[in-house]
Amino acid sequence: MKGLAPLFLGIFGTFAFSWVGLTVLPTWQIGHLNPESDEEGTDIYPRPQSGMFVRGAHVYAANGCVYCHSQQVRADYIADDIERKWGNRRSAPRDYIFDRPIFLGKMRMGQDLANIGARAPAPEESPSPAGAARPAAQGAAVSSSPPSQAASPAAATSPATTTAASPASASATAHAASPGTSPASAAPPNASSPSGQRTGVASPSPGQMANTTPGGSSPAAPSAQTPSAPWPIQTAGLPPMYSAAWHHVHLYAPRSINPDSNMPAYRFLYEKRRIAGERSAEALQLSGGDAPPEGWEVVPTYDAKCVVAYLMGLNQSHPLKEVRSVGSAPATGGASSPAPPGSSPAPAAGGSPAAPK
Amino acid sequence: MNTTGIPLKDPAVSAAAGDMEQLERAYIDASTRVPVLMFYTSAIAWLIVGTVLAMIVSFKLHSPDLLGGISFLTWGRLRPAHMNVMVYGWASMAGMGTAVWLMARLCRTTLRFPLLLAAGAVFWNLGVLIGVGAILLGDSTGFQWLEFPRYVAVILFVAYTLMFSWAVLMFRYRRGDQIYITQWYLLGAFLWFPWLYAAGQLMLFVAPVQGVLQSAVTWWYANNLLFLWFGAIALGTAYYMIPKVIGRPVYSYHLATIGFWTYALFSSWTGMTRLVDGPFPAWMITASIAATILTMIPVATVGLNHHLTMQGYFPLMRYSPTLRFTVFGAMSYTVFSVVGVLISLRSVASYVNFTQVSVAYSHLGLYAFFTMTIFGSMYYIVPRLVGREWRYGSLIKLHFWASAYGIGLMTLMLLAGGFLQGANLENPTLPFSESIETVLPYLRGRSLAGILLTVSHFIFAYHFGLMLLGLGRTSTVPTFLNPVEAETSGGGH
Repeated sequence: MKGLAPLFLGIFGTFAFSWVGLTVLPTWQIGHLNPESDEEGTDIYPRPQSGMFVRGAHVYAANGCVYCHSQQVRADYIADDIERKWGNRRSAPRDYIFDRPIFLGKMRMGQDLANIGARAPAPEESPSPAGAARPAAQGAAVSSSPPSQAASPAAATSPATTTAASPASASATAHAASPGTSPASAAPPNASSPSGQRTGVASPSPGQMANTTPGGSSPAAPSAQTPSAPWPIQTAGLPPMYSAAWHHVHLYAPRSINPDSNMPAYRFLYEKRRIAGERSAEALQLSGGDAPPEGWEVVPTYDAKCVVAYLMGLNQSHPLKEVRSVGSAPATGGASSPAPPGSSPAPAAGGSPAAPK
Repeated sequence: MNTTGIPLKDPAVSAAAGDMEQLERAYIDASTRVPVLMFYTSAIAWLIVGTVLAMIVSFKLHSPDLLGGISFLTWGRLRPAHMNVMVYGWASMAGMGTAVWLMARLCRTTLRFPLLLAAGAVFWNLGVLIGVGAILLGDSTGFQWLEFPRYVAVILFVAYTLMFSWAVLMFRYRRGDQIYITQWYLLGAFLWFPWLYAAGQLMLFVAPVQGVLQSAVTWWYANNLLFLWFGAIALGTAYYMIPKVIGRPVYSYHLATIGFWTYALFSSWTGMTRLVDGPFPAWMITASIAATILTMIPVATVGLNHHLTMQGYFPLMRYSPTLRFTVFGAMSYTVFSVVGVLISLRSVASYVNFTQVSVAYSHLGLYAFFTMTIFGSMYYIVPRLVGREWRYGSLIKLHFWASAYGIGLMTLMLLAGGFLQGANLENPTLPFSESIETVLPYLRGRSLAGILLTVSHFIFAYHFGLMLLGLGRTSTVPTFLNPVEAETSGGGH
């Protein structure tokens, strides 16, 4: 080969081709998504997150959680993420528009965390104050979709007695799609009673959604996902699974919850101190070898509270127009919803690839 | 310089004026001594640091309470620290050392402004040092392959600009108008890297793109760094070392041209295969998968070219350390690419996307392909810089086998473990923890492979240290892996 000019132009050209193709064009296509809302412009999703959530994301980045935990749910016709109760629909580009940095992840040495916040028990069951820091997205789980069957923890064990209703229809309806895997799905008869059981907020205003304790309308549905939770045993004496207090114990001593876990213990995010006067309400409920000696307690640092607030805020259970929520065909109109710009070969019946902006 | 046993001829130069050329080459080599040795020394120091980090990371993955509870020794910080040390400390610096030397040789000009390069090396080291410190102290950006905080990016960029301007000057002063294959790749690497790095930094930190596109940019950057920076340097090196050592021109320039341009065109589009089934427009992923399949064209042409060049000369691998390492690297390029195609196919990717297979893939690229090729070039170049030959053939042999078995075992363990992990992950009747239980024994096997690699790196560092201290052999005969008297005939001549 002779001459520098053709060589240089070729080198520049191949680079520019790939740069434009894989980063500039996609930015033009999906780089300016807005949150979605219903007709009245009220039920907005996603929403910017709280300060604790943002700081928690930095703690998450600093400690490399992303190297073991992904945050993306793949479609049900591709993988079994949804069957594993990691979400009730596939993740879409719109779910991440406020994420900075983004933690899609490349490894699952631990579970997918895209919806870990959605699995938390209702706030009133969560004794830790950190639970109060649950950011807006959690409240946003209160959706405007039609009523659906609730699956409270009680429902999971004795479906016949189920009376509670869940506003987070999407989560609950997930079970209809995966019958037989979850005890909660044993309650379909109840699902056929579409009464106004949708407790609380009928048409939640933004303010109400931001409210972290929406009274009786607490997003109880997530707990429906607990029964087939991946950790084999939920030992007695521990806080409710996926509650803030549980996250703290899990971060401090993962093997006290699952003896086979290979997650590192993040003890440096906690402070062991002598109990001054009364035991702190924040103190971790530890047992066995992990428990501090008599007269001492383990309390979370601010970073620990932030990272738990972050985890509790990870929630993609809110339906999106461009993505079919599993089993909620009548609810979210899966057949009529246009294929999203962000979907891989979407089987959506409507199939017209309009890009909702 | 070496007249016995293995013929050494410059493939790009006619053999008209023998003595003058040897003298000229000696001058050129001497002019590159300080900067190239600086690059190599720092690279090997980083290699040792990265190896130690790798061992801790590997052991901690199956023994999580090892060195537990300390913030800067937590797994999630050590892992990116290891990766960045290897990528920016070891691989980049070693690659630049080799690239600088090759450029000087092929431009047939003594190295001008060595201080520019030396200053670049100092700044680069400083950048990596601060960056790794920042990661360990919890200042990682959270973007894989770009964990260094922004202030480090600035230092690295200054350092790179110094080295880059040197490369341009070098080209300006080159003699002869023939540009050899190696120079295409090296020029490409020297230009691609700053564009990639700048694009990555701009789109992630200066004017950040929205949401999932951050991930697209990250993997576009990481993949291109692997192919267009490390891969290009390694391929260029192989195109120089193989013909050089066996004393025979490259089989076909035409094939090489096809190989180069298809490589540049297709491998730069493969980034999104790391995100198959993710929340992205389907066309992005499909385009990347298609591009990955098309990378079989450069693989076939480059592989064929090397093979036909080597044909009849394979027995020389018994003696020449350079040839043995380089051919191992060149063959690994094929394996790496084939694995890359397999795991990018949608049906396979849905199984292995979130498993140890991706770790195996990165190590195939960065170690089996790139690092082994660079080891080979170091065995060739260092004696020409210090004026001594490698002291112990046995140590080189040990280094080769420990590295080859180490990376082979590691790849097998991670691939096998990863596939089983993926199969369990995709079986919803099994609890999630089952997939971890499955892969743990393979991770222990990987730690074993890591011990082999650690041994090999310490041996190499020791041997290199001897050379640096002037304790190499004084001889006109290069150090061979096996005694040469036995059977010198390489079959082809």
